[in-house]
Amino acid sequence: MRILRRFGRHIKEGFLGVGRHFGMSVSSSSAVTITLLLVGVLLALTYNLQIATQSIESSISISALVSYDAEDEDHLKRITAELEAIEGISSVTYSSKEDEFNYYVNSNQDEDLREFYENYREDNPFHDAFIIGLDDASLLESVKTKITNIPGIDSVYDGGENTYTLVGVLANVRLFGGALVLALCLLAIYLVYNTIKITISSRKDEIWIMRSVGAKNGYIRAPFLVEGILIGLMGSLVPIALISFLYTYLYRKLEGNLFGAFFLVPPTPFLFYMAGILMAIGVVVGFLGSYISVCKYLRVRR
Amino acid sequence: MISIQNASKTYKNGTHALSNISLEIKEGEFVYIVGPTGSGKSTLIKLLDGEEVPDSGLVMVAGTNVGKLRHSKVPLYRRNIGVVFQNYRLLPRKTAFENVAYAMEVVDTPKDQLRKRVREVLKLVDVADKSNSFPDQLSGGQQQRVAIARAIANKPKILIADEPTGNLDPKKSDEIIRLLEKINKEEGTTILIVTHDSTIVKHHPKRMIALDSGHIVADLAKGGSIG
Repeated sequence: MRILRRFGRHIKEGFLGVGRHFGMSVSSSSAVTITLLLVGVLLALTYNLQIATQSIESSISISALVSYDAEDEDHLKRITAELEAIEGISSVTYSSKEDEFNYYVNSNQDEDLREFYENYREDNPFHDAFIIGLDDASLLESVKTKITNIPGIDSVYDGGENTYTLVGVLANVRLFGGALVLALCLLAIYLVYNTIKITISSRKDEIWIMRSVGAKNGYIRAPFLVEGILIGLMGSLVPIALISFLYTYLYRKLEGNLFGAFFLVPPTPFLFYMAGILMAIGVVVGFLGSYISVCKYLRVRR
Repeated sequence: MISIQNASKTYKNGTHALSNISLEIKEGEFVYIVGPTGSGKSTLIKLLDGEEVPDSGLVMVAGTNVGKLRHSKVPLYRRNIGVVFQNYRLLPRKTAFENVAYAMEVVDTPKDQLRKRVREVLKLVDVADKSNSFPDQLSGGQQQRVAIARAIANKPKILIADEPTGNLDPKKSDEIIRLLEKINKEEGTTILIVTHDSTIVKHHPKRMIALDSGHIVADLAKGGSIG
């Protein structure tokens, strides 16, 4: 009962503190707002980039063509097994020469041309093929070499020089975006910590009076922590609302894709996750900021 | 109740605030501590409420060795003593009622008991009608009374008042001392008043300890006077 009563009192004091130091609370939470707004925008950007690059990378595949003298079932089984044994390969799909032929013929729009090609069905010039998907686009080159060395493989195709460049660029873009988000998060923590420190420094006398009437350190700290959490929460509301609104608006306006090439991540459930992340950052930053600074001011006097 | 043995205190800037002080104060006593500015009165209070640690010697209050207290234990010790500070030190964003209640919440007083006692002490110090006012809405004398109410709310064994009449006119000063006498008598609280107001010492004669340059220069029983 005692603990419950105390807990309730700390929560109440925390709310009262926000209310009675309203100006300070607003200025602290607006620092949270501004940084979380940046974090949120960057988060939306990098996440979209992440998804886009992943979809590009996963569409990067290698085609390995089987030589004409290895088209019997035994050889194909052996090649399949050897392919699957290579590390970094996510999928191996077999496509018979008939499939390849059909695919080629059907990819032509022209009726006459298609009929002309049909003459070659009996004497199919295509190879049996394996379409190989990769776990990670950076493995492209090494996997390609390994496949070329498998007996019975006639030739191996990837997208050529351009594929390598694209893979490199995407990796860099992602790395850069991630680093930027991280750096911004750290900046946010620092900024908010500083603002909260100022808020609490104006109340160091208050902290000392509390100690002088017999309040233990933990007892003094608790309402300040509740206050910090509330300030963090308050500060995360505006960025969440703003980003949700803008993102949904943009998504509708652009009909879900950018430059006709990149697909945007749909607003739900993405925005819910983001709201959760921003709120969590706000709460953690508010909590840490007030914890560190209250502890500091508790030590000023005995 | 209070026993100080050979206590000395020198501040970092080299000021010798107290030199080899020894004194005994018994339970239920009413004592004035007088002396000019810089005589060591404030340092004496700080040693007693645990804000400063003596460089040497012993400070025992109600069975606690105050100089040896850990930082986290200091507040627990302070629950035994009520201190009325010169500049009142009320929490600015709390009403008179809440200020007094805070000192009692800290020791987990049940709610109804707390309300009853807060009303009781506010009535005792004669500011019951100001319970819902914030400190900046109160006069100096009223703030002083609230500070006294807060100091005695938990029925401390000792009440220390630093210049309780410092900012008040003679009539108000007289009232405050009468109030402290009442607390001394009715609650049996040991009372220590630091003052340089010779009028109140003359009108309400008690034991008086005089400090000068960090030394005890006189310790006079009731009614005595110096100079």
